[in-house]
Amino acid sequence: MNLFLQVDPKSFWNAPHGSTELTVKLFAAFIIGIGIAVGLTFIPAQLRKWVVRFVTFGAGLFYVLFWIFPRPISRAPTDAPRGAIEGMSFWIADSQPVIMTLTNVIAGFMIGLGIYSLLRVHFSKIAKQQRDWAFSAVLVISMLLMVTLGYADFLQRQDPANFGLADQKNWGLVNYGKDLLFDGLLQNMDAGMFSIVAFYIMSAAYRAFRARSIEATILLVTALIVMLSLMGVVEFMWSGAIDSISKDNGLIQSFKLSAISGWLKGTIQTPAIRGIDFGVGIGLLAMGLRLWLSLEKTGGEA
Amino acid sequence: MGNQYLDTGWFMMVLTLVMVSLILYNISRAHGGKDLYIRRISGLNAIDEAVGRATEMGRPVLMVPGLSASVNAKTMQAINIFAYVTRVAARFANPIMVCCADATVLTVCQEVIRDVYQQEGLADQYDVDSVRFISDRQFAFAGGVAGLILREKAAATFFLGEFYAESLILAETANSVGAIQVASSTELTQTPFFIAACDYVLIGDEYYAASAFLTRQPVLVGSLIGQDWCKLAMIAMILCGTTFNSIQQRGTTTTEHKEGKWVDLPKERLVLAKDTFFSRLLKADPEKNIKLDPPREKLPPDQLPSGGPAGGDK
Repeated sequence: MNLFLQVDPKSFWNAPHGSTELTVKLFAAFIIGIGIAVGLTFIPAQLRKWVVRFVTFGAGLFYVLFWIFPRPISRAPTDAPRGAIEGMSFWIADSQPVIMTLTNVIAGFMIGLGIYSLLRVHFSKIAKQQRDWAFSAVLVISMLLMVTLGYADFLQRQDPANFGLADQKNWGLVNYGKDLLFDGLLQNMDAGMFSIVAFYIMSAAYRAFRARSIEATILLVTALIVMLSLMGVVEFMWSGAIDSISKDNGLIQSFKLSAISGWLKGTIQTPAIRGIDFGVGIGLLAMGLRLWLSLEKTGGEA
Repeated sequence: MGNQYLDTGWFMMVLTLVMVSLILYNISRAHGGKDLYIRRISGLNAIDEAVGRATEMGRPVLMVPGLSASVNAKTMQAINIFAYVTRVAARFANPIMVCCADATVLTVCQEVIRDVYQQEGLADQYDVDSVRFISDRQFAFAGGVAGLILREKAAATFFLGEFYAESLILAETANSVGAIQVASSTELTQTPFFIAACDYVLIGDEYYAASAFLTRQPVLVGSLIGQDWCKLAMIAMILCGTTFNSIQQRGTTTTEHKEGKWVDLPKERLVLAKDTFFSRLLKADPEKNIKLDPPREKLPPDQLPSGGPAGGDK
């Protein structure tokens, strides 16, 4: 596997495969990264706050520019920019995948922290034999098995010599083990958890639809109409009854269940959702702005 | 890149700038000592009650900041609210549990929760394992949190942030152990489930108003008032748009806007929705003719891409 594949077009962020330039860039990035990490631990807390603000503002500014700056039109990999503005748009387009990769690198480090947190909680439970420690033991054993078999299976499948693994006849213990754990257990348990939602909908609906107040009664009646309109037999019988009264009278026809349900969804539900959407969008804009400009203080000081 | 500019033209850019200005202006007003009013939100009033009840029962408070795949504005808002809940719980010496579905969120949560305990002078009460990573798989996470709720018999639960199909599993499980629940999902499709199963639900932008309501920090209160001004601007635009469109669509036209310019029609016709002033203002012309003039020069040979079928090997 070539771990240093380069992406076209050539930019500040990449270099030809095997070139000295690539080696220098990789080495410089590594040294700068280590330097920043070590440097941040030594600077005073007050200054650190400003460093965080500066980085947050810079990262935010990049994405603001990414979304609003005019993008390069019909750009070929060999094209040179025609001026400063287009040069900027080329630079933003080339930099975005690199910035995205940085996010992935950070996430890669963070998953290690997540696993550490998980193992610390459960190992401590097993060691002290606290209540339900057996569940923790199952979790740790399953995790170790899945990591070991999953990675071994992945490596086997990456090797071009093992193309025969596409056929189950050529599988070994590792492949069967991974298949049992992932497809046989995990996927099915996921599906099992999801199916529970159906029963919870029933119990939640039962509580919500009891006509204890005017609002609950409106909810009950509305839900009943929409549900009945989706039941083929009921809709068919109701529509038949309406048609038997009059097929031409628009007012009477509008009492069909599908018409009432359509009116409820189109005239009541959709505008309400749009209204909430506007509020959420503006709220998100304000929150994003406060984070970008470091105006937000976490900690919930009362 | 540049999608907003190309898709919606200059107007949406200007509108965004106006909204940003309104929010920043109100933040500066609140900073200047102006007393600004915020209405009461019952879901947030219930926080103290929920934590107090958990203390009386000697059972923990459980918080879930949603299933965001990274730290974003929605997660930060949830963490801000959790910081307040933790502060109240710490004062009552009540145990807390924060369940995370993402390791980045876990790190931020741990930092914020530890800071809260330190600010309250109760650093020794902070339990590192109170903020824990469960799983980044949706239903494994739901199963893990549901198990915790049942085993620990949480007395109060706070589900705030991005929730999807697991919302009802969490809320109904908490309901089954008699927990008092405050919830809000930034996903509108999940809000009805929370309404059906929880005691208090923050709907829509109430979620983003929460930290301003709880902390009364001038920046947050000003920002909230700015949001209200933005909403008023949106309402005014909707009213103007519907009025102007209704009036315009009653008339006829002999011209139409095509490829960035007005052209004569062969015969007069009714004004369509796409011909109206507001429609053209909000939608960029899809037939806009973009020309590359003058053509670009080519890069010099030493700056050409590295080549090769996989983009690397020569």
